[in-house]
Amino acid sequence: MLNFIVRRVLLMVPTLFVISALVYFIIDLPPGDCVTSQIDELLARGDADALVRADELRALYGLDQPLWQRYFEWVGGIFRWDFGLSCQDTVPVSELIGERMALTLIMESSTIAFIWIVSFVIGVYAATHQYRMGDYVASFIGFVGLSVPNFLLALVLLYVGKVYFGLSIGGLMDPEYIDKPFSWGKFVSVAEHLIIPVIVIGMSGTAGMIRRLRANLLDELQKQYVVTGRAKGLPPMRLLIKYPLRHAINPFVADIGGLLPDVISGSVIVSVVLSLPTTGPMLLGALKTQDVNLAATFLLFVAVLTVIGMLISDLALAALDPRIRFGATSEK
Amino acid sequence: MSSAELRYPRQTLWADYLRAAAGVLLCGAPLLLLDVNRWLAGLLLAGFLLFALFLARTALRHHTRYVLGPDTLCADGPAGTLVEWARLDRLKLSYFSTKRDRSDGWMQLSIGSTGGRMVKVDSSLDGFHDIVERAARAAEAGGVGLSEATRANLRSMGISVAGQEELA
Repeated sequence: MLNFIVRRVLLMVPTLFVISALVYFIIDLPPGDCVTSQIDELLARGDADALVRADELRALYGLDQPLWQRYFEWVGGIFRWDFGLSCQDTVPVSELIGERMALTLIMESSTIAFIWIVSFVIGVYAATHQYRMGDYVASFIGFVGLSVPNFLLALVLLYVGKVYFGLSIGGLMDPEYIDKPFSWGKFVSVAEHLIIPVIVIGMSGTAGMIRRLRANLLDELQKQYVVTGRAKGLPPMRLLIKYPLRHAINPFVADIGGLLPDVISGSVIVSVVLSLPTTGPMLLGALKTQDVNLAATFLLFVAVLTVIGMLISDLALAALDPRIRFGATSEK
Repeated sequence: MSSAELRYPRQTLWADYLRAAAGVLLCGAPLLLLDVNRWLAGLLLAGFLLFALFLARTALRHHTRYVLGPDTLCADGPAGTLVEWARLDRLKLSYFSTKRDRSDGWMQLSIGSTGGRMVKVDSSLDGFHDIVERAARAAEAGGVGLSEATRANLRSMGISVAGQEELA
């Protein structure tokens, strides 16, 4: 296992290096830079010094340097938690992403927990009660969840909340806690506001997971070793937990790699619709304004979380099922 | 049956030394040369310790020779131990791969006899198949319970073992 971890960790280094370089260079590819839009605004207002100001701003953001030099300065700064200046507010990127990153982590962790808990319970119930009322209800919820886009569900809930209940669903906390230090009241407010986004963002994931868990568990329950276990008189719950469930939860574990990147990048549209102060809308803005440092930092976090997620899911899968696959070949 | 002396191939050991050295350097150099943020320093330190442990493990393998005999498997080296086939009570054969399609991986055999420490060997060891075959025969004779995964991996190596599957 140590060999496995070492090889994977070593592979991460060139992977992240290549991703960071690609991301940085691709964001900078379109013509113009983040100063262009600011200068256009100044020119529209009739500012005669706009072009001089443009040179000053380009020097401030380091845009007068070659791209490769900016890239290596940005990479070097990562070790000091210094991701350079953001063009949007002329503040360090590290200051901009701080609270948003924390709120995103809280929201997406809650969403992942919601997806796992709800889909696990419903999926196992649906598989062990196939073709009964509970199974049909679970399947119906699954199909609805898969077919309704998240942002549409968010819009419907916004409308229903406002028109029928007089509730404002948007945001992640009450207005009086915005930009205030963390407190118990702020925590309670965030927890209350989390419910709707978590349901909205987690709906399709939950529905998909229910379908996959149900299908996998049904496959396992029909295998001969389960029949043998039953014939030998093993208690049903013990039989279920010992082997079929263990094999059927592989998609839960395999999905860790895909779920972690969502912590940073995911649910962008839902966050915009629900006015959530998470990283999604900021990433969108950074990409639109070619704020290279800010956008590249977000995307680097996505890459880091992806490779960490893949490592965790592969380690967990290896621990769950250390079998050779048919068709796979070992080194010796 | 005569005894056979088995070692890890030099090529595998040097590849592991290279990996360990690259990891130690990648994690250690920024800690020594740069002003690193304390959270990142914690991560780099964890990485450094991981690769240092791997380096120590590789050195241990380098200085260990395995003697496969009719009655025992002896790991002769700095952390040497002995497995008696007649008293074998643990056998686990796992398969690992760094690829998502689980191809090009390697096997790891963990065996131990009553009162003794575990011996773990990888499929890169010369004569790995002979050790697995001998351990499987000993497990069969001693009625050692084997997991479903171990049985599947044994089958993939062309070794079938009679007896009950470990259900408890």
